[in-house]
Amino acid sequence: MKLPNVFRSRFVDYATRRNKSTKLNAITNYLVEKSKLYIVWLQELKISIKLYQKLQNICIAVLSTGPVPEHVSFIMDGNRRYAKKSGLVVKKGHEAGGLTLLSLCYACKKIGVSCVSAYAFSIENFNRSPQEVDILMTLFGSKLDEFAKRAVNFQDPLYGSRLRIVGDISLVSKDLKTKIENAEEVTKDGKDFTLYICFPYTSRNDIFHAMCDLIAKCQNQTLESKNLTIPLLTEDMYLDNFSNKCDLLIRTSGHMRLSDYMLWQVHENADIVFTSTLWPDFDFTKLYVMILKWSFFTTLQRYSERGVTLKDRILFNTPFINRSRPIGPSSVYDSLPKPPIAMSITGETDS
Amino acid sequence: MGTFESKGAMRRTAPPEASVMNGTEGKYSKLKALQALIGSLFSGKSDAGESLGNEENKTFWKKQKSKIQYSIYKVLLVTLYLVYGCYRYCQYEWNKMKIRMLNIIYNPSNTPQLIRQDVTKLEKIPKRLAAILEMKSESHVGGGSQGLMNDGSEIVCWTVSAGIKHLVLYDYDGVLKKNVQDFRKDIRNKLSKYFGTSHIPKYAVRIPHLNKIYFNDKDSSSTENHKVAIEISLLSNRDGRETIVDLTRTMADLCASKELKLGDITMSLVDKELVHLVGPEPDLLLYFGPCLDLQGFPPWHIRLTELHWEEDNHDVIYSVFIRGLQKYATCKINVGK
Repeated sequence: MKLPNVFRSRFVDYATRRNKSTKLNAITNYLVEKSKLYIVWLQELKISIKLYQKLQNICIAVLSTGPVPEHVSFIMDGNRRYAKKSGLVVKKGHEAGGLTLLSLCYACKKIGVSCVSAYAFSIENFNRSPQEVDILMTLFGSKLDEFAKRAVNFQDPLYGSRLRIVGDISLVSKDLKTKIENAEEVTKDGKDFTLYICFPYTSRNDIFHAMCDLIAKCQNQTLESKNLTIPLLTEDMYLDNFSNKCDLLIRTSGHMRLSDYMLWQVHENADIVFTSTLWPDFDFTKLYVMILKWSFFTTLQRYSERGVTLKDRILFNTPFINRSRPIGPSSVYDSLPKPPIAMSITGETDS
Repeated sequence: MGTFESKGAMRRTAPPEASVMNGTEGKYSKLKALQALIGSLFSGKSDAGESLGNEENKTFWKKQKSKIQYSIYKVLLVTLYLVYGCYRYCQYEWNKMKIRMLNIIYNPSNTPQLIRQDVTKLEKIPKRLAAILEMKSESHVGGGSQGLMNDGSEIVCWTVSAGIKHLVLYDYDGVLKKNVQDFRKDIRNKLSKYFGTSHIPKYAVRIPHLNKIYFNDKDSSSTENHKVAIEISLLSNRDGRETIVDLTRTMADLCASKELKLGDITMSLVDKELVHLVGPEPDLLLYFGPCLDLQGFPPWHIRLTELHWEEDNHDVIYSVFIRGLQKYATCKINVGK
């Protein structure tokens, strides 16, 4: 049987597809075009948007009843490739990325994540072309204002969040510096959610700056050098009390490296997820699945750490589960099936 | 041997997925997982975690859930968990099959020629290679410190055959460091298996933390020809955060005694010191576990390092090694651009 073109398109290359125009193809094409119209129309309807939001809210509510990560971090990579792929100018790609970050922040906040950090600009990024650095700076400034405005508007879902810009602020222009100070000042009372934007940031710079701070403290006699410890150094880092640990680090666009980000936080006890999606394409569902995965494994981990509690014991002594099954590792030797009967040639057996 | 680390002073906490997938046999079985999931139905939010702030903020658009609503959501969540668990199980089996196939495709069978043949096809190889090793429990096949040393020496042989000059072996507790004499013998035995007993490539084992270098199998006193085919550095958790704090302390002392000015401390100075104390940054980091877990690998040194691991793989196998090199050959590093 011959398949209509729409379905065959995956197997046949484009040129041969075009040439054949049978009646069947015409009909299916017509139908697809028509249904596309309806789909677009459906999407534009207010009710479907509302339904989608409702569904999303339910999903979030479901997830927030389980364990959720405390600190989620993003490496927002792939904006330029996204622009290239969809034929836009570089600036649009970065803008799309900024939008994605804001919408994901909203989702994270509702799920119950208390801190999100994002790698917006690396110190190494100053090596890019001046135009692009300029674009990024202006875009950053406008996003800053937008976020600050939304964080104090109590009707907005982002209300009550604190914004912190961390990194080597001395590298940015004066104009932007005042903007940053302003935004931090306006949002400083936010308690339930913190967004850290790492702007001119590298992790080595972060560690270095904390070291310098401590050395200066030692010099001012406020601290004795033999009292220096890891927690003290951690406290002095940019991310305040989230400096010690990052539960979930997500890097988009497929590179398998950390690129000088969150090294101190991530080198121990952190889940690092690499995905090949470009950052602007990284949407709520993808984030949702990742957090679900984290939550799933955390549930298992916590269960085994807690050991078997009394409640569980009562619960699992129900008839349909074999009680005699030993919990915990048993030796391989004991678990082997019984060998056949041992019998010598004289016929004696050890029974 | 010197006493440099109190044994097992700290228990490492692994990230959730790694700890579950890496759990020794019997610790996490399917039944156990099911128990945990159903158990989580009855555990309240309070012991489910210390996720703060959820109860306190009741802005008007964020209503507090009622009890019934909460339990419905909880049931839904467990259903989602179950669905995900089934999916993950299928994925696990699939990955296992993939690894088995890869093992058939890439089989070095102790021949350096075959390994070199695989490597010469590549465009570039890393200058420095690092590997995170993990001690499996004694009861496991290939577990204990013996198994760890065996794995380590195997990687040394592959690295020598591939023509890479520097290798960093990391294990959290520093077992390799403590048993460095045995490890050197192990390397020797393995290398003789690969290259024949009469032409064992020269190697040096370095312990940066103790500032010691051992050449070949003999004692370090022999200062003959020090050109080696491979230099192996042994690192442990001690070389991570703690070394950075040590460095800070030393610098603070130097500043206090006016030998160093605060303004003289720069990034490059810190970097230089850390390279001296721990070693240079590796180009490629291999992890032979089921799910990426950096286990406290020195944080300063993983800045641009490419990471490679094979999902759901539990053993130190050649296919992970060669696939890591293949991936490295195709990746392009552009700092900041």
